[in-house]
Amino acid sequence: MTEAGYSEPVSVDEVVTLLAADDEAKCVAGGASLVAMLNARLVEPSRLISLRHVEELQKIELAEDGWLRIGALVQHCDVAIAAELTEGNQVLSQAAGLIANPVIRDMGTIGGSVGHFDPAADYPVALAALGAEFEIAGANGRRSIPASEFFIDWYETALAPGDLITCIRVPPPPAGSAGVYEKLAKVKGDMGIAMVAVVMAMEGDAVSHLAVSVGGCGPTPIRLSDAEQALIGGRIDEAAIQNLGDKLSAASDPVDDVRASAAYRKILIPRLVARAIGQAKTKLGDGS
Amino acid sequence: MAADKTTNKMYQVGKSIPKIDAKEKVLGQAQYIADLIRPNMLFGAMLQSPYAHAKIISYDTSEAEKVPGVKCVLTGDDFEDHKMGPFIKDEGAIAKGKVRYMGEPVACVAAEDEATARAAALLIDVEYEELPAILSPEAALEPGAAVIHEELQDYFKVFEAIAEDNLMSFTEISEGDVDKAWDECDLIVENTYETQAQNHLSLEPCGALAEVEPDGLINLWSANQSVFRVQANVCECLGLPMSRLRSMTPKVGAGFGNKMEAHIQPLCVALALASKRPVKMILSREEDFETVRARHPFKVRCKTGVMNDGTFVAREVELLVDGGAFADDSPGVLGNAALMSMGPYHFPNAKAFGKVAYTNHLRFAAFRGFGNPQVTFAGESQLDEIADKLGIDPIDLRIKNVLDKGQKWFGGQKVDSNGLQECLEKVRASSDWDNRRKNSGDNGIGVSAAGHISGLLATGAIVRMLEDGTFVLNTGATDIGQGSDTVLTQICAEALQIPIENIRTAAPDTDGSPYNWGTTASRVTYTTGRAVVGAAEDAVRQIKDYAAILLESSADDLELREGGMVGIKGANKEVSFFEIAAMTHWGVGGPIVGSHTLVFDQPTIDPKRAVARGMPFTNIGVFTFAAMVSEVAIDQVTGKASAEGAWYAVDVGQAINPGLVEGQVDGGYAQGLGYTLFEEMVWDDGRLANPTLMDYKAPGTAEVPYEIDTTIVEHPEPDGPFGAKGVGEITLVTVPASIANAITHASCLRLRKLPLSPERVLNGLMENE
Amino acid sequence: MSSGETISLKLNGEVREATAGPTTTLLEVIREQLGLTGAKKGCNQGVCGACTVLIDGKLARACLSLAVNSVGREITTNEGLTEDGEPSPLQQSFIDNGAVQCGFCTSGMIVSSHHLLQDNPSPSVDEVRDGLSGNVCRCSGYKKIIDAVRNVAGG
Ligand SMILES: Cc1cc2nc3c(=O)[nH]c(=O)nc-3n(C[C@H](O)[C@H](O)[C@H](O)COP(=O)(O)OP(=O)(O)OC[C@H]3O[C@@H](n4cnc5c(N)ncnc54)[C@H](O)[C@@H]3O)c2cc1C
Ligand code: FES
Ligand code: FES
Repeated sequence: MTEAGYSEPVSVDEVVTLLAADDEAKCVAGGASLVAMLNARLVEPSRLISLRHVEELQKIELAEDGWLRIGALVQHCDVAIAAELTEGNQVLSQAAGLIANPVIRDMGTIGGSVGHFDPAADYPVALAALGAEFEIAGANGRRSIPASEFFIDWYETALAPGDLITCIRVPPPPAGSAGVYEKLAKVKGDMGIAMVAVVMAMEGDAVSHLAVSVGGCGPTPIRLSDAEQALIGGRIDEAAIQNLGDKLSAASDPVDDVRASAAYRKILIPRLVARAIGQAKTKLGDGS
Repeated sequence: MAADKTTNKMYQVGKSIPKIDAKEKVLGQAQYIADLIRPNMLFGAMLQSPYAHAKIISYDTSEAEKVPGVKCVLTGDDFEDHKMGPFIKDEGAIAKGKVRYMGEPVACVAAEDEATARAAALLIDVEYEELPAILSPEAALEPGAAVIHEELQDYFKVFEAIAEDNLMSFTEISEGDVDKAWDECDLIVENTYETQAQNHLSLEPCGALAEVEPDGLINLWSANQSVFRVQANVCECLGLPMSRLRSMTPKVGAGFGNKMEAHIQPLCVALALASKRPVKMILSREEDFETVRARHPFKVRCKTGVMNDGTFVAREVELLVDGGAFADDSPGVLGNAALMSMGPYHFPNAKAFGKVAYTNHLRFAAFRGFGNPQVTFAGESQLDEIADKLGIDPIDLRIKNVLDKGQKWFGGQKVDSNGLQECLEKVRASSDWDNRRKNSGDNGIGVSAAGHISGLLATGAIVRMLEDGTFVLNTGATDIGQGSDTVLTQICAEALQIPIENIRTAAPDTDGSPYNWGTTASRVTYTTGRAVVGAAEDAVRQIKDYAAILLESSADDLELREGGMVGIKGANKEVSFFEIAAMTHWGVGGPIVGSHTLVFDQPTIDPKRAVARGMPFTNIGVFTFAAMVSEVAIDQVTGKASAEGAWYAVDVGQAINPGLVEGQVDGGYAQGLGYTLFEEMVWDDGRLANPTLMDYKAPGTAEVPYEIDTTIVEHPEPDGPFGAKGVGEITLVTVPASIANAITHASCLRLRKLPLSPERVLNGLMENE
Repeated sequence: MSSGETISLKLNGEVREATAGPTTTLLEVIREQLGLTGAKKGCNQGVCGACTVLIDGKLARACLSLAVNSVGREITTNEGLTEDGEPSPLQQSFIDNGAVQCGFCTSGMIVSSHHLLQDNPSPSVDEVRDGLSGNVCRCSGYKKIIDAVRNVAGG
């Protein structure tokens, strides 16, 4: 048992340098996932790099391009009440508010959640529906990766060794859109059995924007852009919703685990999708 | 104390005073096992088996011994072949020769700090030869199945066990003639019900601290429900005389059966003996899940025959129980399940029989209600199925068949206090049953009733007067948080007519406390309370004798007066306990010590009525009763059922402290609700798949409704302390069926397998469509 | 256990020195070195809530907080909420409402309740249930805990 090193850098560049110098180093954000793993001896990093003094990671700000930049260290409790998240983007604040419990929400960070990437985590589902992007600082400078390319497989993201997520970039919400986040968990605050995020807008009776993402039912959040597109411009009736839900269910790849069986999740997906879209329609003032 | 009861004027009994240890707990100062420190203390850790069933071929401890800070390493080879167990002595301190479940301790280490001990334990190399793992009672009882305890026939058993190969215990009780009775019945319903393993999950993980004095005397502190069972278990499995071991308990972070028998204490003592240093071992949550114990999974086949008017004619219940790797309390759980399987009703023809089998799971054991929640889930679910078929209101059906005054419990024991009918009527009113059953909205309501025992075995109390006339009460009963220290103090204060503050309750200590079998079986208020009353009466007799001298009167003419006084009946003349204490300490007689011991001795089986085989106990206890109505909402999209409210009525004989009774209701409900809806230990082959709180979920504030309504019903138990009997377990027993019945009311869906998970509910709803 | 560097922590208004390696948790330090055993280790995984403390006014699990990462922050445990060693009104309300059974969850419950009441001095039942949803109690069924929080709030 060799003792790990510990650093408290103040800038992103310093973090990146520290990470580059040591393959086995790990960043500590809120610690909510990492320290639990340290306690269980599931990871034994050679160096812990605390992000707490890195100013750049702490803010939520609206960029000139209209995208919202949520610093990696912004905590769940602050995302849950962020006034900057409006209309359809509220799907993200709803997801944040359903993570764990008040204590974990006061600790955990959005960058930590995305970096840890538990396939049952809440943010990835909402971020996938929003078409968010991840800004990453690495040995070769900064880059941005869209959510659709970021989540790759079970516990695998596009992060390369030595990469730091600096911020989550959220596009401006479609005009007049509404967001709904649905989560089924065994008990409140548990990791979900299945989650659905919906961002939707309508013009009159016709759907003008639709994004539906499903989580907890496979290695990565599931989105079927073609199926979404096919519904744009039309009325979204029960049959159409059912059809979309069935397609998402067919595309899912859940496993049996201690929370539920794969078969149950397959059945659940269309039902949760229908509920979430129904709620979105209600929010959009369409009771039909 | 009959006089007090009839005049019904109570001084300390019946008051909801705060728990006497509440202040130290809210200040964060109460000391639990993990908080204790001894000078020069080492920390213990263990290595666990990676196999469910395997022969141990050899050990290599050399790497572990090399680790700086490691003081001693023990394996099965270092232990003599002694065995412990409350019913069948089949369990050593550590695996020896073979392992019988995955996670079983196979070696242990004491080191200067916990991290070193844990790391070193993992360096011990054990060579195994894998054996076929037996992971269900069915597999265990297959002819030719691998045998888990080869020496079963040679083990010492405290009862006439019917045991062979993997059959740990068979029990049968019957009355009347069920086989003949089926022909008389208008309606017969038969179903099989299944229940799962539930973890006790006391928030405090198990732990122990052992220290050996230079003369070899051992001091042992541990989280437990009985210092005496700890003493017996440790000494049995280490081959020590009980006189060498002193067992004590700090504050206990709850126990629900998990801390009744041994957990880590034997290993901790062995390490302290070997290292000659104090050793503390605190289990991680994962180790606690994997090695302590859990509620038995049951399969219950229940067949009930009735007349068209709802009169019960016959019931037959067959039980198949997974006992796990060691017997522990299993035979007792099976026996109690059989005894409770008729519910609190009169069946002229009744038969219950069943088997508990050894398997390669961790030991299953007593857990709040021991065996009763499982059979009550079956029986009370089935009563609703019958009520539905007969078109009778479920509460009416129950009231029609409740044991009447003078009727005996299944097996033949007399039932003295029985407030069940009143309980059923009370919950009918409090839940607005009649209206709500008719106008079913989205939510369903369901009823369930039960009887349970309160009693078992031996107990004692010593009441000692101090120099200033105040008292020390010593019972040896462990307060596991339910508040028994407070209740026993109230009983003592009532019997002595003195303020609560004038009594100090001694912590349980096998050196100084009278024997107490333990805080289990809803027994402390009833049995230990009786001992306290007896000891106080003994002290009062002595007090009056000395007061008679001071008052120049006869003891018969004296009476106790509130506040610690003795006076002459009908006269003002009185003398204080202070004066009596002074006299007895300095001049006359000697300091006052009142004592009383008893063993519960009412026979459970009356051989004139019932035939019983393989009964693990002879005298189980008096009977407590409860009825409840549960309200449930079902999410039609996901199938998730959630509890929305509960109305309870419990017959506690006499509530010594009504606030604490409510605490037992609320807590039993919450634990029962988790059991019913989602708690489940899941095994993947022999490996426990969810041994963490991340993956095993207990109910939180969101799952437990605030709307828990408690009505206390008081039908005094003739020999109970001021009429009291226990309440700790029955509040959980009724929960599963009441929720299952409420789900049926809400959705016409009948589920017979716990937990009633969203998946099961949704599948059922979809089948019904 | 106590290998590592000397750190100083601002704990319940005092500066306290301890030894901690990079992976030593705050819970280990306050319990094993600083003698404050109100916070309990019920799971060491962040789920049970028995170790809940305040760090810079926010709720935190001491078992998931690294001691070194807590340097310079204001740490408050249940012991720090007492008033001259006597129960605060909130703590007294736990006593008076019968909200304490085994007591293992109690310190964490009180810290979470304290935080809740700071933001919302008279919470509804459901607001208390929300606020305490990260604290497990296996004994009480929560009802009397909710009463304790609401009754101090009302009074
Ligand atoms: C009891 C409990 C319940 C929970 N329930 C839920 C739930 O319901 N839903 C849910 O979504 N989550 C849940 N979580 C997880 C929680 O959201 C965590 O907060 C989150 O996953 C990790 O965030 P953190 O800031 O604490 O990260 P840390 O634990 O500090 O880090 C986690 C991992 O991410 C890496 N990392 C941290 N920051 C960065 C960065 N900026 N760039 C790259 N890598 C980084 C770390 O090196 C580490 O490997 C729960 C956790 C607990 C303890
Ligand atoms: S010990 Fe920290 S939450 Fe359980
Ligand atoms: S009082 Fe025991 S866990 Fe809450």
